[in-house]
Amino acid sequence: MIHVPTNILLVDDEKDFVEMLSMRLEDAGDKVTPAYDGSMCLEKLKKTPIDVVILDIKMPGMDGIQVLREIKSRYPLIEVILLTGHGTTETAVQGMKLGAFDYLLKPADFEELKKILDRAKKRKTEQDERIRKAEVRQLLRKGGNI
Amino acid sequence: MNPDRLKQMTLLLVDDETEFRNTLAKRLHKRGLHSLHAPDGETCLAILAKQPVDVVVMDVMMPGISGIDALSHINKHHEATEVILLTGNANTQDGVAGIKSGAFDYLTKPVEFEHLLGKIVQAYDKIISEREQKAAKEYKARIEQQMIATERLAALGTLAAGVAHEINNPLAIINESAGYMQTVLQKKDVAEIPYRASFDKALGKIEKSVKRARTITHQLLADVGKKEQVIAEIDIQALVNETFQLIHRDAENKGIRVNLEADQNQRTLWADPNQIRQVLINLLNNAIHATDEDGVITVRLQSADMGVTLDIIDSGTGIPKENLDRIFEPFFSTKAPGEGTGLGLFVSRDIVEKFGGKLAVESKLGEGTCFRIQIPNQDRFSDDDPGLK
Repeated sequence: MIHVPTNILLVDDEKDFVEMLSMRLEDAGDKVTPAYDGSMCLEKLKKTPIDVVILDIKMPGMDGIQVLREIKSRYPLIEVILLTGHGTTETAVQGMKLGAFDYLLKPADFEELKKILDRAKKRKTEQDERIRKAEVRQLLRKGGNI
Repeated sequence: MNPDRLKQMTLLLVDDETEFRNTLAKRLHKRGLHSLHAPDGETCLAILAKQPVDVVVMDVMMPGISGIDALSHINKHHEATEVILLTGNANTQDGVAGIKSGAFDYLTKPVEFEHLLGKIVQAYDKIISEREQKAAKEYKARIEQQMIATERLAALGTLAAGVAHEINNPLAIINESAGYMQTVLQKKDVAEIPYRASFDKALGKIEKSVKRARTITHQLLADVGKKEQVIAEIDIQALVNETFQLIHRDAENKGIRVNLEADQNQRTLWADPNQIRQVLINLLNNAIHATDEDGVITVRLQSADMGVTLDIIDSGTGIPKENLDRIFEPFFSTKAPGEGTGLGLFVSRDIVEKFGGKLAVESKLGEGTCFRIQIPNQDRFSDDDPGLK
């Protein structure tokens, strides 16, 4: 099966981490856009089509939860996977209540990350598909009225 | 005088005049008081060595050990025992010497019975009140110990979370870097490079070690995160009054008045009473610390369907603006080193937030400070309510 590349936005203030994980994900056939803080993440989202955001919870400036709220209010269809180095799952659970797709503790197992990414991408694609179909139906209905 | 209470008392009569002892014992018995007997000082001390005695009524002039000598022995070895001395009419100086060496009081013979009975009751009252004070002191010490333990645990938690974060991040970089190298080694064009097997082995070891370190950091956090807590229905007004008992001495020592203003809606609260009490003690101790002599601390309790609001208002020095943002930070303290842990407010806020509530502060320099605790009711105590988070 051909792997359709997932457009990933990777947000973490640890540049080395972003660099290495990007290389791995790209090698696995995905397209990664890096961002190093919350506002940069929101900037990139304006310009780049993104399927899934991988978001570090603890960042200087806007923290991951704030960024998550922004993403979900502006782009409700984009899926967000939270990464936490803090080990405490409380914020991660709070994040999922705010609409994050899932969370992983750092350092994350790559295979697990890939699995979650695939599921998130799948949900995004299905949702896009449903919206597209609904829009087609709407168009057809309008056409019938003429 | 509560006669039932007096029945608990152990009384010992020491006099070499058997007749006098028997008459006295009979009259005491009629009033519901049982007594032990000793004909001399030696027997008295032997009885005391075997069982605790509350009040000793003792003649000073006895063959063998004198009453005064017996008294000093009792003072040394049986601190909780009170002694009433009986002296001959001509020897009041014996009585005075007795009081100086620790007797509760002395009476001159011939003794007026009601007078003696009154003294016995007074001595027993003193014992009871000392016993209660001692119990209260022990209780307070126990609570303080509990609080220190909670604060230590919180400090450890904060430290562990910080360490975990600091270590997990570089660990994640090592993990991704090693993982990337493994991916590269899977590629066809590097399949035949020299030392291929050694590379694989080394990268495998890195991967395994990262997993091991990860287990340690996560385990550390899981252990620290475990705090035993009990949830019970709390009568918040009773809890405030109970807390007043624990701090009233410190307030009194500084001449500070502590008031409770409670509204009529007596609502209860579902939370951990030990932890809520800890919050109250922390806030009240801070208030006492910040308030000068003759100041006032008011605790205002308002309850409604939504939940309970508690204001702790002091007329103290106030908190400077630059500190106001930092007081809830762990290890921030303006007290002298060793006096404050810098964790009281940090832990307090943590506790209040754990029960879905809020801890806020308002302060004006020179006028005082108000800490406001808001805790929602259990039926509104829901994670889905973002307004309370």
